[in-house]
Formats: sequence, structure tokens, C-alpha cells
Amino acid sequence: MAFAPRHGSPARAVIAAGIRLLPAGLLVLTASTAARAEPVIYVLDPQHSFVHFEVLHFGTSTLRGRFGTIDGQVELDHAVPSGWVSLRIPTAAVDTGVPAFDARLRQSDLLDSEAHPVAGFVASRFSFDGPRVSALSGELTLRGVRQTLELRALRYGCHTHPQLQREVCGGDFEGELDRAAFGASFGMPFVANRVRLRVQVEGIRQ
Amino acid sequence: MKHLLATTTLGLALAAPAYSANYVIDPTHTFVTYEVGHFGTSTNRGRFDKKEGTVQFDKAAKTGKVEVVFDLKSVSTGVEMLNKHLQSEDLFDSAKFPAAKFVGDKFVFNGDKVSEVAGTLTLRGKSMPVTLKATNFNCYINPMFKREVCGGDFETTLKRSQWGVNYGLEMGVPDDVRLLIQVEAIKQ
Repeated sequence: MAFAPRHGSPARAVIAAGIRLLPAGLLVLTASTAARAEPVIYVLDPQHSFVHFEVLHFGTSTLRGRFGTIDGQVELDHAVPSGWVSLRIPTAAVDTGVPAFDARLRQSDLLDSEAHPVAGFVASRFSFDGPRVSALSGELTLRGVRQTLELRALRYGCHTHPQLQREVCGGDFEGELDRAAFGASFGMPFVANRVRLRVQVEGIRQ
Repeated sequence: MKHLLATTTLGLALAAPAYSANYVIDPTHTFVTYEVGHFGTSTNRGRFDKKEGTVQFDKAAKTGKVEVVFDLKSVSTGVEMLNKHLQSEDLFDSAKFPAAKFVGDKFVFNGDKVSEVAGTLTLRGKSMPVTLKATNFNCYINPMFKREVCGGDFETTLKRSQWGVNYGLEMGVPDDVRLLIQVEAIKQ
């Protein structure tokens, strides 16, 4: 998997990698002694993970579009509590429902998909409200420009996946960005600078 | 001569229904996006890509009528399997009922802006009343078309069971479906 390297906690990544190599009997022992700070890993469910964007058109109506399939991984450690997420968003797969708009969005003055086929979001500053993730702050890299992005949880919950019989956690998150700050400035001011992101995300426990 | 011209202009102004105009829906800026909860965790979204419609709109009389038809086979969720399931007999039954139609004929204004449109939504052969609330409304001269465009954002929450779209209710898939509607229409 081509996730961005994790910042801040190389030890945790080494532990996670090491556990996979251990025989089953040792794994139980390791898990019980290391339970204190073992992050749970969730891999995004591509059928329920999309980034939607909204931007005002001529001060009149809201243009919407969707990015997906996005892939990514979330680690949550409720004992600390802490969290980490890395998402990869293929920019060429932008889908507004109007093929001409999608082609225009891929051009160099907007998403610049040829030079920058993947946008990335990596966040390690998580806020919790009890067991629920309530907000996160990280870095969005788009067109090669990195800017801080904050996402607020509108809802967050967990359920058991009916087919996989595994825990699924996720929610709806919202944030806003100035597209000009990323150099994606075509069409302003007729199409607004302010872009609202509405993110659906569900991760399947590994 | 001057008098004659003035009289003619006055006559035209009186004869014409001064502000009533016909508009055609701009399909590239008109979308219905639905939102429905998924196992109490996140929100699934989908939209309808093929649609057509017309609007008659009279700013002075503060009346209007809108008719829009959506091709249910053009539903787009980003998940092909879900698109197919939505079209099955479980949900839209699009083989039997290929289109959804909204006819709105009760326009409510707040000043010179439309604030609400009430009408009838027909889906799966059932027609039920719905009221759309505007969150944006505006008219502008589009520099490409060199014509007036009016439009906005509307929303409503409906109970899908009213149209017989009952799949999954007993498994906890919500009855409430929120619709987010972008609409722009070009003056003819």
C-alpha cells in the first residue's frame, strides 16, 4: 500500500509490522502485554468513502462534485486517545455529472491532474468527545501545495458490517478551503474561492 | 411623431404580461442530490445526471411553475453495484417507472427572491406533495449566454415509504431522505 509515511510514531509502525511476522501463540501474548497503547487499524471502505465538494456558482446555486474511490487508513488508539489518518484522493476521477466540467477541472489551472494525479490528506491532530472523533486537523496536499485543513465531525459512529461481521467506524466530516491558496483559481470570482468539503468515511477494522 | 411613439410604447407596456418569462432548465447546473444515513455512521449520497425541465416565472406577479423530469437510470453514487440496486424493483423500479417528475406551482417569495416552492413529486407511479425550501436564490446575466439566468439551492426531507420505496426499512435503513437541489434556468 502506498500510504504516506507516518510522522511522529515510528515505534508504533515497527510494532505493527513485527506482530504480523510472529507465530500465532506469541501474537496473543504480545497483544495482551501491549494492549495499553496498541492502535486499532481501520482501512477505508471504498463504497462508503467519498470526498464531496461544494462551491457557489455566480452567487446563485451550489456546484457539487465527488472524488472517489479514495483509499486510506485510519489508526485510533482510544487509550491515549490519539488518531492518525492518511487518505489518497485521485484527482482525475473527479465526477460532477457533467463530463465537460470534469475535463475542465482536470486542467492545470484547477486540479492539474496530469502533474498531480493524487491529492493527499494526512492528519494526526485528533479531538475526541468521549469515544467519538469530533474533529481532526492535518495537511492537505493538492497541486503539490500543502495547507492545513481542519475537519469537523457532523456525526460519528460504529456498526458491525453485516457481511464481514467486523467493526466499521466512520462518519461525516466537513471542512472548508480557499482554492486560490492551492493555486486552483480558474473561474474566480464567478465560481467562488471558498470550497466546502463534505467527507463521508467508513473504515473497516483490520 | 414623438407622441405616436410614446403611445405605442405605452400600449406595448400595458399589453405585455410585463415580467412573465419562460426559462429552460440548464442541465449542467441542475442536480438533485439525495442523502440517506448509513447504519447511523455516515451519509450515502447520490445524484441524477439526466434531467430536463422548464420554468415559467413572473417576478412582478410573484408566481411561477416549474416542471422537471429526472431519468432514474442516470442515478450516480460512485458505486456501480449500488446504482444497479437503486434501479431494481426494491427501490426505484426504473424498468417500470423510468422517471421521477416534480411539478411545483406554489411559489412563495421573500421580497423579490423565491423562498419556497410547493408541488407534487411523482415517483414509482405515486404522486405526493412536497415543499422545497430555498437556501439560495438569485438571478444574474450569464456572460456566456448573454441572457438572464435564475436559480438557487433548495432542500427538503421526505419519507421514501410514502412513494413505496420501502427497501431496508426493517433493517434500519432510514425512511428519511434529504434532497439537496441545485437549479439554474435560462431565460428564453
